[in-house]
Amino acid sequence: MFFHIQLERNMQLHPRHFGPHLRDKLVAKLMKDVEGTCSGRHGFVVAITGVDDIGKGLIREGTGFVTFPVKYQCVVFRPFKGEILEAVVTMVNKMGFFAEAGPVQIFVSNHLIPDDMEFQSGDVPNYTTSDGSVKIQKECEVRLKIIGTRVDATEIFCIGTIKDDFLGVTSDPGAAA
Amino acid sequence: MSLAAESPVHSSSSSDDFAAFLDAELDVASSDTSPDEDQDDEENDDDEEDFQEPSAKRQKVEDLEPTKELEGSNVNTSSEPMDEDICPPHPGFIKGMCMRCGQIEEDESGVAFGYIHKDLRLNSKEIDRLRGVDLKNLLEAKKLILILDLDHTVLNSARLVEISAEEEYLRHQALSMQADADRSIFELPGMHLLTKLRPFVRTFLEEATKMFEIYIYTMADRAYALEIAKILDPDKVYFDNRIISNADCTKRHQKGLDVVLGAESLVLIMDDTEIVWQRHKENLILMERYHFFASSRRQFGFSTKSLSETKKDESESDGILSIVLNVLKRAHQMFFDAFLEKKLSAKDITELSSRDVRKVLKLIRQEILQGCKIVFSRVFPSSARAEDQPIWKLAQQLGAICSTEVDASVTHVVSTDKTTEKARWALQNGKFLVNVHWIEAANFLWSRQREEDFQITSSPKNPPD
Ligand SMILES: [Mg+2]
Ligand SMILES: [Zn+2]
Repeated sequence: MFFHIQLERNMQLHPRHFGPHLRDKLVAKLMKDVEGTCSGRHGFVVAITGVDDIGKGLIREGTGFVTFPVKYQCVVFRPFKGEILEAVVTMVNKMGFFAEAGPVQIFVSNHLIPDDMEFQSGDVPNYTTSDGSVKIQKECEVRLKIIGTRVDATEIFCIGTIKDDFLGVTSDPGAAA
Repeated sequence: MSLAAESPVHSSSSSDDFAAFLDAELDVASSDTSPDEDQDDEENDDDEEDFQEPSAKRQKVEDLEPTKELEGSNVNTSSEPMDEDICPPHPGFIKGMCMRCGQIEEDESGVAFGYIHKDLRLNSKEIDRLRGVDLKNLLEAKKLILILDLDHTVLNSARLVEISAEEEYLRHQALSMQADADRSIFELPGMHLLTKLRPFVRTFLEEATKMFEIYIYTMADRAYALEIAKILDPDKVYFDNRIISNADCTKRHQKGLDVVLGAESLVLIMDDTEIVWQRHKENLILMERYHFFASSRRQFGFSTKSLSETKKDESESDGILSIVLNVLKRAHQMFFDAFLEKKLSAKDITELSSRDVRKVLKLIRQEILQGCKIVFSRVFPSSARAEDQPIWKLAQQLGAICSTEVDASVTHVVSTDKTTEKARWALQNGKFLVNVHWIEAANFLWSRQREEDFQITSSPKNPPD
């Protein structure tokens, strides 16, 4: 799920950047530091959409660096248990398959793949229905439901399922090609 | 120093509690304010330090799950406690999360399968289940499992610092042939290694993959194994993620099939090192070591010139890999037998499930010295129990009959010395007199070797050439 929220961060800046473009420097550094990072509470910071406030700078003794409290608006992405996501399959093996929804890694174990889909090894490992009409393989898109999430410093990992109504393959590159 | 003038209108809201925000946004029916609200006012604005959300919040988030599912699982646990699809027990974990119910458990039970995913652990019941599924799938595809060692089995590597002046030409070859897809010499980037593939290995893999699901299993580290896999399997059609390295072994200095998600009854192993397969000797096809580089020969105590120095190599067409490929073909043929030609029914699969490739391998091996009756002379101390001697056991595995006494039915005397009583008896009675390498060679080459090539010389330790 995406959220548009306000966050706050203390930014440290070297005095050489002080001048008419100080604000630009701070914003550029903020984007570089924050976009693409991940935190347990907020999820992935996708993009900064605006800077609301830059507070009074505080000179750090001994270093000359100045700390500015910055309040900014950003779009974050955070998967939740129960949420439905579209993801791209990245790897298929006899345990199940891995998929990615943006920066989020999701594993769907074969317990959570419909029983009528069986694993086929070979050059392109896949899960296929007995009639061959539906096939999950690398690169195809699936709609899945998150049943567990785990957040680390740099990544969010989820357990997903496609064993429910309206879940499963939404596009199959193999069939399209 | 103030930047407020440049800033937009000061937002009055302080750092919003994200979970509270979510609750409001998603309209969760819950009026109580989070008890840990105060703690959430971040003293330190560094978001990265805050990895774990407080439990009260997680609880709320979990409540978002549709009630239908919650009811469903309640029904299941109460009415069908024996259902195999219900947690607990959890079948396995990935990153500490149950792969079936998503629950986070911190206990580190089960077997790690780091080569499939770095944070994957499976419990034994799940491993059995996966092996069962795999068995069925493989049999349907009419395939067995082949475990392939790397060093000295399908290739030989040497550290660059150990490359001798006489071998220097190989580095140039590795460089100049970079564009050649069929080359067999590689300098591994960043590893300071020169790697020579064993002759025939490309054809070997191409053929073996039709009959086997192939795993790499090496005691070397993962980075090396992956680098070699890239060389052996540039199109990624042979190994997939089946690349097992030292980090995956569950016992020190031992290779085990416990980290292979396949049935032992389908497994054949090709390895030059016997002792690491203590628990799976019956699956093992022992490989004659491929020593290409001088440093490799030295490590194993050989002083003669290496293949690299003499610019020679094993035969491509009838070298060891070609010979072993034929053994694999026979084993595969004998295992599937009449089933090879037909479409398999469920009943056929059941029938095949009870077969064991180890028995097939045993049969093939027993044909090698079939009809030979061997007496040993000065090969092992006469005080030792003959039946316990490795060479005695080996000869028997190759189908020979071993005896301690000479008689008319004896065909071969294996000795270290031409002058022993039994050796002289052999010569007088027109029996073959050979050195022990005759048996070892038969073992490696999977056929009875010409006795003339294994004459006893004055220096009995010379390897046959
Ligand atoms: Mg080896
Ligand atoms: Zn579970």
